[in-house]
Amino acid sequence: MRPLDEKETTAVFEKIFKFTGNNLKNIVENPSHEGPDKEPGRYCFRLHKNKVYYVSDSLVKRATNVARTKLASIGTCVGRFTHGGNFHLTIECLNLLAANAKHKVWLKPTSEMSFLYANHVLKGGLGRITESIAPGDGVVVFSMSDLPLGFGVAAKSTQDCRKLDPNAIVVLHQADIGEYLRMENQHEQIIEE
Amino acid sequence: MEMETETQKPFQVDMGNLLAFNPFHNFPSLPTSRDELVKECIQEGTKLVQAIADSIFNLPSTEDADGPLVKLPTPTTKLPREKHLPKPKPPTKWEEFAKKKGIKKRKKDKVVWDEQTGTWKRRFGYDRVNDDKDIPIIEAKMTDEPGVDPFAKRQDDKKKRVEKQEKNHLQNLKQAAKIGALPSHVQLAATALPITGTQAPPKKVTKDELGNVAGMAATSTASGGKFDRKLPGEKPAKKQGKHRKFLPVVEGLGIGSREKEQTENVLNKLISKHSHEILNAVTMYNVKKEKKARNKRNQEGKSSSATNKLKPKKQLHKKNGKKGPGSSKKGKAK
Repeated sequence: MRPLDEKETTAVFEKIFKFTGNNLKNIVENPSHEGPDKEPGRYCFRLHKNKVYYVSDSLVKRATNVARTKLASIGTCVGRFTHGGNFHLTIECLNLLAANAKHKVWLKPTSEMSFLYANHVLKGGLGRITESIAPGDGVVVFSMSDLPLGFGVAAKSTQDCRKLDPNAIVVLHQADIGEYLRMENQHEQIIEE
Repeated sequence: MEMETETQKPFQVDMGNLLAFNPFHNFPSLPTSRDELVKECIQEGTKLVQAIADSIFNLPSTEDADGPLVKLPTPTTKLPREKHLPKPKPPTKWEEFAKKKGIKKRKKDKVVWDEQTGTWKRRFGYDRVNDDKDIPIIEAKMTDEPGVDPFAKRQDDKKKRVEKQEKNHLQNLKQAAKIGALPSHVQLAATALPITGTQAPPKKVTKDELGNVAGMAATSTASGGKFDRKLPGEKPAKKQGKHRKFLPVVEGLGIGSREKEQTENVLNKLISKHSHEILNAVTMYNVKKEKKARNKRNQEGKSSSATNKLKPKKQLHKKNGKKGPGSSKKGKAK
């Protein structure tokens, strides 16, 4: 477990920035009320075995008592660094993204299941969409009852979506909460909460 | 056919080697400069190649998918051997001994009748006659020492015999290597055999390796090569040892000030990099609209308050200034 260096921090922030925009500031400066300290601490990013965790500093302090090899997971896993040095977000960071999302998409109840099986979001399944999405922006996908289902990348801008074929892809799938069941063995870490 | 000598084309053509030469060529006058000589030679060479090409097309050909195929006749010119003739191998120890004793080689059958199993078996190798596996009982003799396993002894003896033969074989190869008459197949593996006395051939050192070693040597002083006088043309060490240093995991009360600073820096850089995106077309429009509305409001409320007096005036001036050139431009364009 170690702090990210500058290059890694840039990679992580840039990825999250795509989803949250300037709300990234809220994530970084979020006060934490964990641990015995009376004053609220901060959250920080820690790298452990290729994975990046979003942890409160009081938890980091306590986690230093655990040997590096024995430490399976701490806090929330935000994503991981690939062999090539790229950063990928994982589904565990969904709550963090959903709370601060800039671009959102709501799915009709009929197309929820399709998305939860790792399919892209089609125009036909689109319930609502926020304004001013540009292609390539990160989008958080919600159900109509405002339950975050996953996230992806916008394939079309909001304006283009209006006059689109119902079979056209609007959001490219990146992660969804169905992964907790589908890839249970790949997610070794225990789901939080 | 192969050696065709004609009066017009006095070339000797050997089709088997695709070779042609002109034994009767004479320079009418020896060329003075080298360039002329080269020119002359190329001219003569062209004629010879042409002669070869002509005779190829005279040969009977078969049609193929790629074009006509011609079978070349056997070559007539005898070309010299590339490598010298192999030297005769010196006689081995056994060959010398056999010559002295007058022992001659006898042909032996490859297969022998095995009485134990009642089948024909190979004389040597796998599944051979008198194989250790096939002997269930060894009769005790008077000379046997007590406490010695006869089966283990048999195996041990065999191993020793093989080892001895290997030693003799190497000794013979060593003798042959001294004279330089190693057979070619052994020569290839000679560096691995303990007969030549030399180890693997020295590797050629590449430029990169030399550079790396030189860099290492230059920085192997107490000061890390900082105060050493540089040789003319010496470049800085190519491979700098990379010591990655990370911020501490925990510093003081939780998150450290340096880490805070770093995240802050990255965040600010990121936000300023993307700040232009905020002013996209829609918001620009909105901002302009707001400005206009504000201006109007200010103009209307100009006389109402004393504090607002200065501001609208200023903006009016600005507006006029801006509008002036804009309108004139429009007029020009029209």
